[in-house]
Amino acid sequence: MKLRMQITKDRNIRFISHLEYIRTIERAIRRAKLPAAYSEGFNPHMKFSLASALGVGVVSYTEFVEIELMEPMEVAVAAKALSRALPRGIRVLAADAVENNHPALMAEAAGAVYRVTLPYTEDLGEVVERYNATPSIIFAKAAPKKKNKVKEIDVKFYIPELKVQQVEEHTVFNFDCKITPTGSMKAVDLLNTLNEQYALNLPVEKADIERLELYKRGKAGQKQIMLMKDAFHL
Amino acid sequence: MEKELTIDILSSVQKPARYTGGEYASIVKKPEEIEVTIALAFPDVYEVGMSYLGFKILYHLLNKEAGVAAERVYAPWIDMEAKMREHKIPLRTLETEKALSECDFIGFTLQYELTYSNILNMLDLGGVPLLAAERDDEAPFVLVGGPCIFNPEPLADFFDIGIIGDGEEIMVELMNCYKTWKKAGKPGGRQGFLQDAVKLKGIYVPSYYSVKYNEDWTVNAVEPLYKDAPAIVEKRVVKDINTVDFPTDPIVPFSEIVHDRIMLEVFRGCSRGCRFCHAGMVYRPVRERRPEVVKELARKLVDNTGYNEISMVSLSTADYSCLGPVVHDLISEFKDEKVSVSLPSLRIDSFSVDIAKEVQQVRKSGLTFAPEAGSQKMRDVINKGVTEADLMSATKAAFESGWKAVKLYFMIGLPQEKDEDILAIADLAKKVQNNYFEVTGKRGCKVTVSVSSFVPKPYTAFQWFGQNDIETLHHKQYLLKDALKVKNITYQYHDAKTSVIEAVFARGDRRLGKALLAAWRKGARFDGWTDCFSYDIWQEAMAEAGLDIDFYAARERGENEAFPWEHVQPAVARRFLWHEWQKAQKQQLTHDCRRDSCTGCGVCPKLGVDIIDWKDGAQ
Repeated sequence: MKLRMQITKDRNIRFISHLEYIRTIERAIRRAKLPAAYSEGFNPHMKFSLASALGVGVVSYTEFVEIELMEPMEVAVAAKALSRALPRGIRVLAADAVENNHPALMAEAAGAVYRVTLPYTEDLGEVVERYNATPSIIFAKAAPKKKNKVKEIDVKFYIPELKVQQVEEHTVFNFDCKITPTGSMKAVDLLNTLNEQYALNLPVEKADIERLELYKRGKAGQKQIMLMKDAFHL
Repeated sequence: MEKELTIDILSSVQKPARYTGGEYASIVKKPEEIEVTIALAFPDVYEVGMSYLGFKILYHLLNKEAGVAAERVYAPWIDMEAKMREHKIPLRTLETEKALSECDFIGFTLQYELTYSNILNMLDLGGVPLLAAERDDEAPFVLVGGPCIFNPEPLADFFDIGIIGDGEEIMVELMNCYKTWKKAGKPGGRQGFLQDAVKLKGIYVPSYYSVKYNEDWTVNAVEPLYKDAPAIVEKRVVKDINTVDFPTDPIVPFSEIVHDRIMLEVFRGCSRGCRFCHAGMVYRPVRERRPEVVKELARKLVDNTGYNEISMVSLSTADYSCLGPVVHDLISEFKDEKVSVSLPSLRIDSFSVDIAKEVQQVRKSGLTFAPEAGSQKMRDVINKGVTEADLMSATKAAFESGWKAVKLYFMIGLPQEKDEDILAIADLAKKVQNNYFEVTGKRGCKVTVSVSSFVPKPYTAFQWFGQNDIETLHHKQYLLKDALKVKNITYQYHDAKTSVIEAVFARGDRRLGKALLAAWRKGARFDGWTDCFSYDIWQEAMAEAGLDIDFYAARERGENEAFPWEHVQPAVARRFLWHEWQKAQKQQLTHDCRRDSCTGCGVCPKLGVDIIDWKDGAQ
């Protein structure tokens, strides 16, 4: 069976990288003594994966890990054991179990909901209206691990619609970002796009980025939660 | 809280997780629980400092004490230092984010002389006055300990208290002493505490001593200025390490650190008596951990950390009397849990086919041997006590067990060394490659030859030796480089200039404090990192302080010269060291005293301790 859990990456550890997050979860699984399955071979690795990568600095309330087990285990027991074995900044919120042949979370993830908070006071209502009305915005993002190379992406494909509001001294964006089998885009690149496209001076480096939800889509395209409806909640 | 490390700062620096803490098993105490806070300060980056076993031990041990909060702080890398200075953010501990100036103690470990500029920099960033003399009653006490404490004099201006020897017992005593003094209303202020502390065995308060110099710049005498300050401070030693706690729930970092595995100390001390080796002299005698305790600790460590590798550490792990059976038991116990066992650099005469095969079972790790010198003459000079035949049989065992690559450690710049001895290193590396061909019938064995420039250290037989100058070291490095232009041999060496500054501070005196301060002001940081080290800065700083690099590094000392460090002692007799130095000139060997007769270093009788050896289950 595959154990699936919804976990967090809290504020205090937001600056650990995705790789560091993965290593931390692997060690917690070992500490929790979950009967995880391993690959064959000379350097066996644990069969577990995360639904989606999260950038350095991004807080999340909705990461998902799935762990293939060698022998079945009660979901609630496993969730509690892992919860105890995790560092303070990673909490287990919910858990369920599926068959090994169930589609991977990574393959199912279709979109994420973000909130981005910036210390910025100018009114962005009009900019956001223009953004929402534009069919396409091409952004040249730095290609990962390749110096001086860029990859052009259509930001509107990933983030069709933005909502903005002013909260005291801050500007808060809320939006959905599409996840496809070939990837997604970083929330911070939306801010870079807005600066570039509309000659703004959003303080990108100060952006507080939170991933609020991760979801899959049903056959009719409707949003669905990642875990089963009857998942165990801690 | 005042200025924080904000999102924009953390997202602009390399490896921000170095600065944010929150790791599994890190201990954050509540303010109302804390009577005394000590920042365990490692003067290098997080990944290096987190790998240091001594602080894992002290962190665990001190936090077990009621009222004591032991927290961690590391040197911020250059990029973060710039941000902190720009935004006026003080250096804080990872646990409760206390600025160093708000701690009661800041305890630095002295692992390496080239981290000293970082100590000054961390104090400055933490808002602590650099000079001990300028600290008022509000300022924390700055402690230093660790291997380089056996010559703390170059740092004498900057620290309040030195911790001499094993820290397990004395650190707890010092914390208790502080609690008592604090409860009594801090009588006598800062001096009051120092006067209480200096009465504890193994405590050195540098401001309680005066140093007189001769006209030729050498030391004349070091004398106590205060009645309770002992003329000689002898090291503290834990008689039996089975009786002190070893951490079974160390912090598990998020990021990859240098030694990212379980570090299980199997014994302390080494009595092989290599004449260049500082650790081999200052950590005597050998005290082994009982095999049952090692196995019990391994079980707990695996359960508590989730690590999948256990490294059995010590100064010479192949010498652990129960190594074979313990490795065998550990491997069988943990095999199903995918936990491997690894051994650090090994002596070539203790490495056996059996151990090679055992370690090989779970995962192939790198194999490092340390012949230290290329020719038999040189190995005899340094009393390494191994032969070329030992290396050939060790590597044969390794190749037969499936290893295809080995790393060999050497030193150059040793006493009595000639060009032919340097070339012998290249010959040895080639012979190892050839050995692989003979064992396997295949070519392509990878040999890494890692060479460091020898730095004479205090309390070794070579403390009298004048270090090779930079030109000589360069000549030897290039000689070897030419001789090692061979397929599949990788040659690694370090900048000789860093070794010279290391040598200055290794055998330096108090007058170097001025040079250190000047160098830090000129921007010296991370001197152990080749990219950061600037020889020009150090030359200028030494000149400004009116000091001569060669006097400290390249000068051979006379038999009767008084050394600046001799009031702080690991209890190794000077006459023993001199005798060893004489034997080195004659290339005579001295045996290991562990299971043979006493060689007269003086440590056991002087400190009232014994060798603890679990061979055949008996002491």
